[in-house]
Amino acid sequence: MRKKTCLSMVKLVLYFFMMLTLSGCLGAREINDLEIVIGMGVDKGEGGQISLTAQIVNVSSSGGGPSSSGGGGEGKPFWNVSSKGDSIFEAVRQITHMTGNRLFISHNQAVIFGNDIAAEGLQKYLDFFLRAHEMRPTALILVAEDKASDVMDAKPETEKYPALNIAKLVETYGFTSHLYKVNMKDFASSLMSGTTAQIAPLLSIVKEEESEDIYVSGMVVFKDGKMVGKLNHDEARGLLWVLGKVESGVLDVSLPDGKGKAILEIMKAKGQVTPVMEDDKIAFQIKIKAETSLSEQTTTENLATNEMFEKIQEASAEIIHQEIMAAFDKSKEFNADIFGFGEMLHKKYSEQWKKIEKNWDEIYPTIQLNINAETKIIKTDLLKKPVSPKKEEK
Amino acid sequence: MLGYIFRKFLFNNSLKSKDKYMNENTDTAGSNGDPLSSDLDKNLAVIKEILRDSSDVTFHEFNFGHDRRFKGALVFINSLADKEEINKNILQPLLYDSLMLHNTVDMDFTQIDTISRNILSVTDYLKVNLLSSLLDNLLAGSAILLIHGSNEALAVRLGKGKSRSIEEPGTEVVVRGPREGFIEDVSVNIALIRRKIKDTDLCVERFVMGDKSKTDVYIVYIRSLVNPKLIEEIRRRLNRVKIEAILESGYIEQYIEDSPGSIFPTVSNCEKPDKVAAKILEGRAAILVDGTPFVLVVPMVFIESFQSVEDYYARPFFVSIIRIIRFLSYIISTLGPAIYVALTVFHQELIPTQLLISIAEGRERVPFPAILEAFLMLFAFDLLREAGVRLPKPVGQTVGIVGAIVLGQASVEAGLISPIMVIVVSATAIASFAVPAQTDSGTVLRYIYLALAGIAGGFGIIMGLLATLLHLASLRSFGTPYLWPVVPLNLAGLKDVFFRMPLWSMTKRPTAITWDDGDPYNQGPGLMPSPNTQDNSDSQ
Repeated sequence: MRKKTCLSMVKLVLYFFMMLTLSGCLGAREINDLEIVIGMGVDKGEGGQISLTAQIVNVSSSGGGPSSSGGGGEGKPFWNVSSKGDSIFEAVRQITHMTGNRLFISHNQAVIFGNDIAAEGLQKYLDFFLRAHEMRPTALILVAEDKASDVMDAKPETEKYPALNIAKLVETYGFTSHLYKVNMKDFASSLMSGTTAQIAPLLSIVKEEESEDIYVSGMVVFKDGKMVGKLNHDEARGLLWVLGKVESGVLDVSLPDGKGKAILEIMKAKGQVTPVMEDDKIAFQIKIKAETSLSEQTTTENLATNEMFEKIQEASAEIIHQEIMAAFDKSKEFNADIFGFGEMLHKKYSEQWKKIEKNWDEIYPTIQLNINAETKIIKTDLLKKPVSPKKEEK
Repeated sequence: MLGYIFRKFLFNNSLKSKDKYMNENTDTAGSNGDPLSSDLDKNLAVIKEILRDSSDVTFHEFNFGHDRRFKGALVFINSLADKEEINKNILQPLLYDSLMLHNTVDMDFTQIDTISRNILSVTDYLKVNLLSSLLDNLLAGSAILLIHGSNEALAVRLGKGKSRSIEEPGTEVVVRGPREGFIEDVSVNIALIRRKIKDTDLCVERFVMGDKSKTDVYIVYIRSLVNPKLIEEIRRRLNRVKIEAILESGYIEQYIEDSPGSIFPTVSNCEKPDKVAAKILEGRAAILVDGTPFVLVVPMVFIESFQSVEDYYARPFFVSIIRIIRFLSYIISTLGPAIYVALTVFHQELIPTQLLISIAEGRERVPFPAILEAFLMLFAFDLLREAGVRLPKPVGQTVGIVGAIVLGQASVEAGLISPIMVIVVSATAIASFAVPAQTDSGTVLRYIYLALAGIAGGFGIIMGLLATLLHLASLRSFGTPYLWPVVPLNLAGLKDVFFRMPLWSMTKRPTAITWDDGDPYNQGPGLMPSPNTQDNSDSQ
């Protein structure tokens, strides 16, 4: 009896021991030993090498801590460390020569590629970021207009860390719907689809006397991972209308009588695309439904009447139509299927798709778009009629 | 699982000491078992010999009867017996009142029965014929009346010893509800319960336990509600306990509990008569021990720890929120530091970026690993609490202030402890007071989980939680599953677990406590209050 319990005790201890050691979960790292990376930039260095810039949180000088009485370093709250290497992983490990600690990239918010890297093709540079177990697939991909390291140096005024600021710029795309956030996973999956072209936000720097500010100037279009061109804000929104990603934004409608403007806020938007294939002619029915509110007007005339609403709605639908066509024209110019039309065809006409898949590049410029945009003004916000001198109303 | 290991360990140790104690026990008991003799002097000599070194024993010999031909003696302990009552109710009747009887009435005052029936004006007495029971009663405070020629003696219980007045208990303070609490005198405690439940079925069974202390122990229950097997089992377990002295109900608790190796209590204790009455009415049995205000109640379920008497006196909505807060606070108090350590040492990727940065800022100058930091802080907190409890009140406050300043502020400014750790440990400390019944188990669990988190992070915590859950599910308290009514699931019982349903909807007694096939309802059906519309129309 005693022997048996003894044996089961030994077994129990063994089980616990095995659970602890065999699970591979033992990886204790104190926070003090981490270099928290919040952004990474990849540029082309000299001699074909990769120049990697990591933005590390500078814990000791970021202030706010209780130990502010001591130290008192006036340094930047972040530290941009650069290193060179033949591969990204090599460059990452090279950085430890400067930091002393291994980089901790789980909190990496954004990976910014320099213009020259984007032109060469992102594909081979992405592998590390997708493979590294610490890296999040939700980290954002961005392209810098020139060098990624320059973008990461520009210190924002209200946010402490440039990388977090850049991530915020992209995350809040919905205010204008002029750009779209693209993360590692999205980019990789559209890269693997074969026909769909990839997009990524483009970061530019505005220099004003002494300060440098970062802004998103548009979207970069990739074909097979190589940068082929850019979309401006309106074209980018044209793309988002079709993808159904428009959240909010401003529609600037010129009144038909040329007397002023009505500015509409997009409250809600829905996009629906149905491919139609008839005798080798491929067309796409695009149905856009948007609800808007009258947010601003630049005339004294009361626009809140049924007749005016109808005119404005018609004009705003026309704007949407134009934006979509602008985006489509650009994509024809690059011959890059940014809308993912190929994939839609694949889903609906999988049999025929097999035949045309190889010639998609030739077919793409020939497809037809039938755009049916509808907008509706659902409210006029706080005013029922414009603020104007009384006599004019009569 | 931990309890299992613990039990095995204890079991092996206890085997050796058992036999030794049993022998000793029987030896001492044998000498006092002789019957009394009918010779008064002989009896007195024996008692004097036994109590030879006790200076507070009074032996008063006297003669009584018409011609003073009867000889008697009173033996009592000065410090326990009430002398005034002895004079008034025993001596005076014997010496003087008996003279008022007509002297033709010839009574044989060598018979104890004759005396108790005709002469004495006392009601609470006992006839004893063994030396041992005579001594027991004498030491319990009775006055012993011995008569020459009778081999029986009369033990008269007189008056009450001095006891504390009924006050509000220190451990269970309520905002709404009765302010009375149990006291050290068990007869007062029984009275307090009897005043709550005036039912003929309320049983009070007496046990005397402890070879030296001879402590009165009572089982109180309602015969018609309780499961007879439960009472049988309590009697069995109480009779098993052969120890020298019972100084507090905790002694009994540790000898009768189901799982001595578990960190969770399976016998509940409380200080409030209304709480005990409520539990008795659910079919439980209370064990009252003389000399302590803490009454034991069995069986106990885990959920009880999260219920307070006030829950039933207040309306249900607020109480339901408080219940959830209590559950949360128990989780925080056991897991708080462990989760913090697991997150900051193993799973930094789970912390939001901004929070991670501020944690890193706070920890920047801390030279210790997080696990050591946590242990130091918890140790300091437990130290403070222990020091504060034992010290007199004015000094206790000083300890609190010094502790708060030294540990909370100075250690952070000196860079020994990170400010977030102070927050975590303070939150843990506050949370641990929200569930008083499980403070002990919570403290032990906190250290275990913290150690596991330090070794294996979140994985370790999960292992610890699983082991705890398995252990809890395997616990029984006097036949009732410890996790009832959650495991095994009982829908009627769930009305009083995470939410407290209105009283009129909780119509059934807890089935896992009564195990009764009979009438399970504690109230009539349809008691939900509503304005009586019929009455209104009549009056108009």
